Amino acid sequence: MNRRTFLRRGMAGGAVLILGAGGLAAIPTKDVATPTRALVVLSKRSFQVLVAFATRVLPWGSDAVKVVHGVDDMLRCAPSEAHRDFNDLLGLFENALPGLIFDGRVLPFTRLSPAAQDAVLRHWRDSRVEVRRTGYQALRRICLAVAYTDEALWPPIGYTARPVDSLRAIAYDDSKAGVAP
Amino acid sequence: MTKLALVRASKNVVDGSTSGDLDLKAEVCVVGTGAGGAVTAAVLAEAGLDVLMLEEGGYYTSDDFTMREKDSLPHLYQEGGARATKDLAISILQGRAVGGTTVVNWTTCFRTPEDVVAHWRDAHDVKGFAYADLVPHWEAIEKRLAIAQVDESTLNANNRKLFDGCKKLGWSVETLRRNVHACMQTGYCGLGCPVNAKRSMLVTMVPDAIDAGARLVFRARADRLERRGNAITKLEATLLDSAGIAPTGKKLTVTAKRFVMSGGAINSPALLLRSGIDDEGRVGARTFLHPAVGSAAVYDDDVFPYAGAPQSAASHHFAHRGGEVGFFLEASAWYPSLMGGAAPGFGGEHLAFLKDTNKTAVHVAIAIDGFHDEVAGGRVGLRPSGAPVLDYPISAHLWRALRFAHKRMAELQFASGAKEVRTLHDPGVVVRAPGDVDRVLDAAPFAIGRVPVFTAHQMGGCAMGDDRARAVVRSEDLRHHAIENLYVIDGSVFPTSLGVNPQESIYGLARLMATRLAARK
Repeated sequence: MNRRTFLRRGMAGGAVLILGAGGLAAIPTKDVATPTRALVVLSKRSFQVLVAFATRVLPWGSDAVKVVHGVDDMLRCAPSEAHRDFNDLLGLFENALPGLIFDGRVLPFTRLSPAAQDAVLRHWRDSRVEVRRTGYQALRRICLAVAYTDEALWPPIGYTARPVDSLRAIAYDDSKAGVAP
Repeated sequence: MTKLALVRASKNVVDGSTSGDLDLKAEVCVVGTGAGGAVTAAVLAEAGLDVLMLEEGGYYTSDDFTMREKDSLPHLYQEGGARATKDLAISILQGRAVGGTTVVNWTTCFRTPEDVVAHWRDAHDVKGFAYADLVPHWEAIEKRLAIAQVDESTLNANNRKLFDGCKKLGWSVETLRRNVHACMQTGYCGLGCPVNAKRSMLVTMVPDAIDAGARLVFRARADRLERRGNAITKLEATLLDSAGIAPTGKKLTVTAKRFVMSGGAINSPALLLRSGIDDEGRVGARTFLHPAVGSAAVYDDDVFPYAGAPQSAASHHFAHRGGEVGFFLEASAWYPSLMGGAAPGFGGEHLAFLKDTNKTAVHVAIAIDGFHDEVAGGRVGLRPSGAPVLDYPISAHLWRALRFAHKRMAELQFASGAKEVRTLHDPGVVVRAPGDVDRVLDAAPFAIGRVPVFTAHQMGGCAMGDDRARAVVRSEDLRHHAIENLYVIDGSVFPTSLGVNPQESIYGLARLMATRLAARK
């Protein structure tokens, strides 16, 4: 089963189960944060789910809302089909009924306790279903990659970037750059 | 105004984001300004041809290069650095700007190995040129780009660990040749050289082409070629906004005697596919990636893996492994976003991995795909929107090679004094002693979504060769087998991967083929 099929079937399966299981999956996504500017790629629901996800994944002291807006910016560069897939993936991650089937939980991700959310992350990470693992890694990596563009996170890991201005001061004249050395 | 800024401000350069509809004519239209396109355009323009270059990305210079990923990723990389294979198993690092990937590569230069050229001749009917034909073109490029072997004394600690580890184990290892002049060892090659020390296409062949009269339209995404019989009659492109994302609503139409595709692997075959040119499935097939895995090792002494030239040593000791897939070993650049995304775990586990950054060396094993039936590359296809997508299956054969390569990386890291080796598996895998390498890595899962795989070298998809039933373009001139004015001159024509970093192979081949093309004007 490829990723797109998984996402579509997962969403469709979720919908069927919603009909069958009544209110269980009708529990709405919890609003965990407020966007600070307009979203381009992420839906309102996806924003909430990704903030909840990022809050568990990011190092302490990170601004999850800022990171999720950064993810939204980064996704602008991706093809439109990837936008749809990303929102579908977050929908599946949030949905309680697929969560019940795969992870044994009865609440949407955004309504779980931090410890229960961490357990869901591990379920996805260690899943025997390949597309759950790659989906989890895609979410994890993009959040962390965006987070670490923030210079505030560099001191705790010892990274010391060279300041641009100091290099500009000693850079050789680029008028030579268009000719052979 | 600096020389480069003057070039960008030339009347020959058009910013598509601020332009109205354009209807342009040229003798030769070159799509792409990376290693293939820039060289081709410069050679043809210097020969007196009327050349028009198109580039989807932006035109940035060193003044724009801030050494910060938040600025470089969205502007200099395909899909903002988030391009990946269809199943998300392999992250694809590929440039998107005037100068192409050469703006963000790590400056490593190799001529195409002689045995690879011979293999192409014997196994893929590449009879249009010989290794000796490429040599004078490599020599000319090496002079223009200041390609020279670095002195061992300049290796940063990350490369030094690789070099020393290989030496101690008796493995072949060498210092690398880099295309730099007056390199200040900033370490930021992958984010755009801030001091123009890197002799990328941005600072060499693109200005050369423009100086010789070539025109350039950037922020112009080539959508499709219009074919009539055995000829391309025109090219249609969409002009993009200043961010390079949204169409402005304006169009570019180009009519030319000849069209040269130089968008690189993935993008060149995608343009042909969007144009209805699939050559019975050959276009997009056999796309190669040099799939790579990384290994981090923690030392007692300082490494500062982000300081200094990111790549200056390599080992090809395991390049030829008979029936098994070969690989080569190099050091990796280290940038906070790159490693933040690659490091395993979340929360405390993730932070613990990165906390040892300054004492960590990161090395990569790069698999040589395309030489075994079980590792025959991937296939470029199109999404409904027309955007390319690469389906690249990782076979058991390739996973076996990546596991074997991981073991060798761990061995060389311990040999150079590592106290602990950490793979990039998630959850993390740690080898704490040399004697544990086999046991730990035999137990580690090598599967999609368990260990990250990435590529910085994309090749193939429009294979050259003289058997038109197997190849897309002829090897004598890289002209399409059936379409008489359509050429592909970039890394997509390689019928296998190279086994070495690809930029100089593309430069040499492009210069040879452009020289032949110019002679036919």
